[in-house]
Amino acid sequence: MRRPLGLLLLLMAFAVTPVHARERLLEVVVTDPFVEMHSGPGRGYPVVYVVGRDETVTVLFSRTDWYKVRAPRGQEGWVRRTDLARTVLPSGQPAPIPPYPDFPTHRWEIGAGYGVFNHENLVTAYADFGLTDSLDAEAVVEQAFGNIDNRYLATIGLRHTFIPEWKWFSPTAGLGFGYQYIDNKSPPQPLQRENQMAYVSLGIRGFITQRFMWRADWRKYDIFTNQNQTEEPEEWKLGLAVFF
Amino acid sequence: METRLGSVLLAALLLSGCGWFHRGDKSSNQVVVEDPQGEPSIVEPQVNRREVKVPKVKSKDFELGAYFGALSIQDFGTNPLYGVRAAYHVSEDMFVEGFVARSKGGQTSLEDVFPDISVTSNAGREFTYYDLDLGYNVLPGEIFLGRGRAFNSQLYVTVGMGDVKFAEQDHFALNLGVGERLVITDWLAVHLDVRDHIFETDLTGRAKNVDNIEATLGLTTFF
Repeated sequence: MRRPLGLLLLLMAFAVTPVHARERLLEVVVTDPFVEMHSGPGRGYPVVYVVGRDETVTVLFSRTDWYKVRAPRGQEGWVRRTDLARTVLPSGQPAPIPPYPDFPTHRWEIGAGYGVFNHENLVTAYADFGLTDSLDAEAVVEQAFGNIDNRYLATIGLRHTFIPEWKWFSPTAGLGFGYQYIDNKSPPQPLQRENQMAYVSLGIRGFITQRFMWRADWRKYDIFTNQNQTEEPEEWKLGLAVFF
Repeated sequence: METRLGSVLLAALLLSGCGWFHRGDKSSNQVVVEDPQGEPSIVEPQVNRREVKVPKVKSKDFELGAYFGALSIQDFGTNPLYGVRAAYHVSEDMFVEGFVARSKGGQTSLEDVFPDISVTSNAGREFTYYDLDLGYNVLPGEIFLGRGRAFNSQLYVTVGMGDVKFAEQDHFALNLGVGERLVITDWLAVHLDVRDHIFETDLTGRAKNVDNIEATLGLTTFF
């Protein structure tokens, strides 16, 4: 019994060691008179250890605005990003702690929101990538909950922000194309379940706080059907997004 | 050999020298180039430059896991529920989270009393939902287990919306929830959640808002 257990432990040790050996961790030297280490990644967690000037700490990983570090004698705790950003590498260069994502220069947005599509409830989620300061590419998926039908919409498009330097409130306009799928709730069946469509949009976007931003959009769709008319539903939506 | 080369050089210098006198330092350059024994004047260090790569700090802002528990579907009894969840922590206070889960409704009281009546088909009793939630860690703290062990924990509230598919219909649903996250290690957390999925339905005759409350236990990993 003892031998298989030992063998297993040995195997586990072999399985674990190379990973740890390969993983080099960042080491930084404290330049402030001291740096406080908290017991958790939050402002309210008590300070459990203090690292003094010229001591080296190992940075294990980060969570939101906090970094988990290990002190020279093995104590572990959480240090605020702004405190860790003032440390240096052993070579004397500033520590490579990235700054907090900045709203004017962000590239990615991921968000979700509530809307009304043709008087129906709408749930929307989107991802947006900044091609330039004022031009974005966006992909949106939506579900509209109608009384007789249930629609899924997916669109991709371009969005222009007119005055990107206006942080709190800036108008936008966009256009794009997409696809809708109608999942019928009750008879009669729709003539076409799947349609292609195009849209134009007008909107407003702004910064809220930290890494949050808000968006309000109006969209007008042109849904191409195989009948002689196109359906032209309108959509209003309000969303909350996180930027990177 | 050396003297011959030297004399050749000297002759060349003398032959062309008169004209070069007026050209300043260009002449001296020319001499060096012509010197066959000239050694490279710059010493090249034989030391290989070391590429210093600063290790990157990994972020563990994402949380992914599974949960199971009981869902009380209004009028349809309480039944087992299981699902998956994914969260992204934006700040120490706020996070966004998505859920996908399924359960199955039982018999309504009406169907129990009158066995011939069926409110919905058997397939229609499938209850599946997705949620998009915004969460706020209201009460962060620590939980002490015995003398020497403490786990970070957060009591959070969530609000969101999503789709509930029940009785073969999609319903726009609002979600309100409260939960407790117990962080066991750097990468593992246990969740206890109570959530209500509110939507409007006319399944039992008249349109009304129904509350579908779930209590779940979940396990997530941070990465």
